[in-house]
Amino acid sequence: MPYTVSEVPAPVSRPGSPTLLDLIRTLGRNRFASRGFTRATDLLAVEFSRNAEQQCPFLSVILRTQGQRPEALKDALLCLAGQSNEDFEVIVVTHDASADGFALVSDIVASQPASFKSRISIQEVHGGRRSKPLNVAVEATRGRYVSFFDDDDLLFGHWVESFARVAERHPGKLVRSVVASQRAAVEMWPRDQSGFRHMNWPNAEYPAQFDQFAHLQMNFSPFMGWAFPREIFDVLGLRFDEELYVCEDWDLILRSSLLCGVAQASELTAIYRRWEGVESSYTAHDDTQWQASQARVIAKLNEHAVVMPAGTVALLRTLWADRIELGRVQAELHALLTSRSWRYAYPIRVVMRVADFGRRAVYGVARRVKRVLR
Amino acid sequence: MDVSEPGRLADMRIAIQSVLYGNAPDHIERAAEALANSASRAVSAGSIAEWEYRLGDCAPDPTLSDSDIARITALVVASGGSLEYTHFGANLGSAAGHNRLANDSGAGALLILNPDVRMDPDTVQNLVGALGADVGIVEARQLPLDHPKEYERYTGDTSWASTACALTRRSVFEHVGGFDAETFFLYGDDVDYSWRVRLAGYRVVFEPSARAFHDKRLTLSAGWPASKAEQYYSAESALMLAHKYSMSQRVDRLLDEFSTSRVSYLERAAKSFRDKQLSGLLPEPIDPNHSVAQFVGDFYAVHRF
Repeated sequence: MPYTVSEVPAPVSRPGSPTLLDLIRTLGRNRFASRGFTRATDLLAVEFSRNAEQQCPFLSVILRTQGQRPEALKDALLCLAGQSNEDFEVIVVTHDASADGFALVSDIVASQPASFKSRISIQEVHGGRRSKPLNVAVEATRGRYVSFFDDDDLLFGHWVESFARVAERHPGKLVRSVVASQRAAVEMWPRDQSGFRHMNWPNAEYPAQFDQFAHLQMNFSPFMGWAFPREIFDVLGLRFDEELYVCEDWDLILRSSLLCGVAQASELTAIYRRWEGVESSYTAHDDTQWQASQARVIAKLNEHAVVMPAGTVALLRTLWADRIELGRVQAELHALLTSRSWRYAYPIRVVMRVADFGRRAVYGVARRVKRVLR
Repeated sequence: MDVSEPGRLADMRIAIQSVLYGNAPDHIERAAEALANSASRAVSAGSIAEWEYRLGDCAPDPTLSDSDIARITALVVASGGSLEYTHFGANLGSAAGHNRLANDSGAGALLILNPDVRMDPDTVQNLVGALGADVGIVEARQLPLDHPKEYERYTGDTSWASTACALTRRSVFEHVGGFDAETFFLYGDDVDYSWRVRLAGYRVVFEPSARAFHDKRLTLSAGWPASKAEQYYSAESALMLAHKYSMSQRVDRLLDEFSTSRVSYLERAAKSFRDKQLSGLLPEPIDPNHSVAQFVGDFYAVHRF
C-alpha cells in the first residue's frame, strides 16, 4: 500500500476542472448553437469560474510531519491558528509516521478550536523520499496558492496576509517573503517533557530580494517563504521530483520561478529553526546524497531551454565581459611566468627565499633565548 | 518564606481577564474562541473546576458592540464559561484595569491575558500544572518570538514573568496588593508584580509547554519595531523600577542620560519622573538589599541572547 488517505476534504470544483463548466462550454461550441446561445454559455462559464474560485480558499498550506516532535508541531499549528488572514486550509501530511506518531498528530489536530479544526485535514503517507508526501498532499489542495511548512518552524501572524496581498497585485507569479533563522537546542522541560529552547534572536540571514541567478548556485530561500500559484501544478503539471533525496524545495522553486516569475513580499514572515542535538535533513542525509541531489537539480534545468527574467541580457553581457577580462589577465600572468626574465631571475628568488627562512629562524632562536634568560 | 497554604486549583474557578482599548472585535472573538477551547479542555481534564472570561474596556467608546458581545458570549457559554464585559469609561491603563477586573471577580486564580493573544489548546492546563504551591506566577511561552530572558532549565525559574499570558493565584495577588497602578501605567507593571511576588517568598516560573501566540512582527532586518507608546512607557517604567527598587545611582544615571539625549520621549520621561518627585508622588523604595531586583543593562533579567 503506497499510502493511505485518512481524511480527504470534500471534492470542490476547481476552476477548469472537467465538470458542469466543461459541459456548458461544450454546448456553446456545438455547431448547431445560435450566437445568442453561445454568448449565454460564455457568460455562464465565466460566472461558474468565478463562483468556483470564490469557493476555494486563497491558500493551501501543506504541513509535513513525521509525528516525532509533538511540541514543535503544536508550535507550528498555533502559528497557523494565529494568522491574521484565515482564508486558508491546512493539509497535515504525515510521512512514515508510526501508528503512535500518527495517533499523536491526529489528537493534536483534534484538540484545535472548531473554526480552525474545520480547515485541517490529515493525510498519512508511507514510503518514498521527502517529495512523496508533498506530491500526495498537492493532489488534495483546493487553494488558489499552495505553500509548504515543515512541522518544526515558526510563522509570524501576517504570513498568509502578506502572501495574499502580493498575489492579488501579481496574479500567477510565485510570491516570496523573507525568512529569518533561529537556532534551537533540545532540552528537557519541567515535568519530564521533551522540549527545546531558542539560542539566539532571529537572524535575517537570507536575502530580502530574490535573485534568480544566485538561486541557480544554491537555495537562498527557505521553503515556507514561498506561495506557489496552483497553476504550476494544474496547468504546467509540475510535481516534486521523487528521485531526489533532498533539495526537493530548491528544485521546485527553480523550475517554477523560471516559468512564472517571482513577486517579492518585502516582509519578514517566518522563522526557519536550525536545530541542534536533533535529526534534520542536514544530518539524516550524507554528503553523497546532497551532492547527487544538487547535481540532478541543475542537470534537469540544463537539459531544457529556460526563460530568464528581465535584466538577464545586461547581466550576461557583464559576466561575459568579466570572463574576457579574466582570460586576458590569465594570459598576461602566463606570459609573465613563462618569460625569459622570470626564468633568469630564478636564482635571485631562491636566494631571497633562503634569506627569508634564515631571518625567521634567527628571530625564533632569539625569542627562545630571551624566554630562557627571563 | 511567607507562603500560605494554597487551595487546590482543581477545585477552583479561574478568571481569564483582558484589558481592551479599541482592539479589533474579530481579534477578540478569535482569542475568545481559543481560550474557551483551552479552558474547557482544562475543565474536562480536571485541572480546574470552572472558568470565566472578564473583559475590561478602557476605550472612550465601547470597543465591543452588543452583537460582538452576544457572539463572544455564545462561544464562551458553549464551552462552559461565562463572560463579563465592563466598559470602564476611563483609560485606567493595564495595571489598574487588571486590578479592577480582579477585584470584581471571586475566582481563585487569575489568568492575565493580552486581548490579542491566542492560546494553544493546552495552555490553561499547562499553566495550572506549573502553578505549584510555592509558585506565585507562571508565564506562558510566547510565539513566534519567545522572550529572551534566561530561565533555569527544568525548573523554569526566572527573574520576572510577562503578563501577556500568565497565571497567578488570587491569594498571592491579594497578598502583594495586585499591580502597582499608581506607579505603572502600561509597561513595567509585570516586572514589578513579579519582583514583589518573589519578595513575598514565591517563585516566578516560565512554563515553555504553555503556548501563547502573540502577533508581534519584526522588521526586514529582524529588528524590533517599537511603537511610540512602547518607547515612552518603557523609558518611564525604567526610571520607576530603578527608583522603587532602591537603585538611586541608576535613577541619577538614567535621568542624566534621558535629559541630555535630545530624544523627545526620553526627555518627556525624565520630566515626568521629576514632576512626580517634586509632587511627592513617587512610590516608597523597597528591596533595599537588592534581593530580587535585577538590572542588567537595559533589562530586568539576564538575557539568553
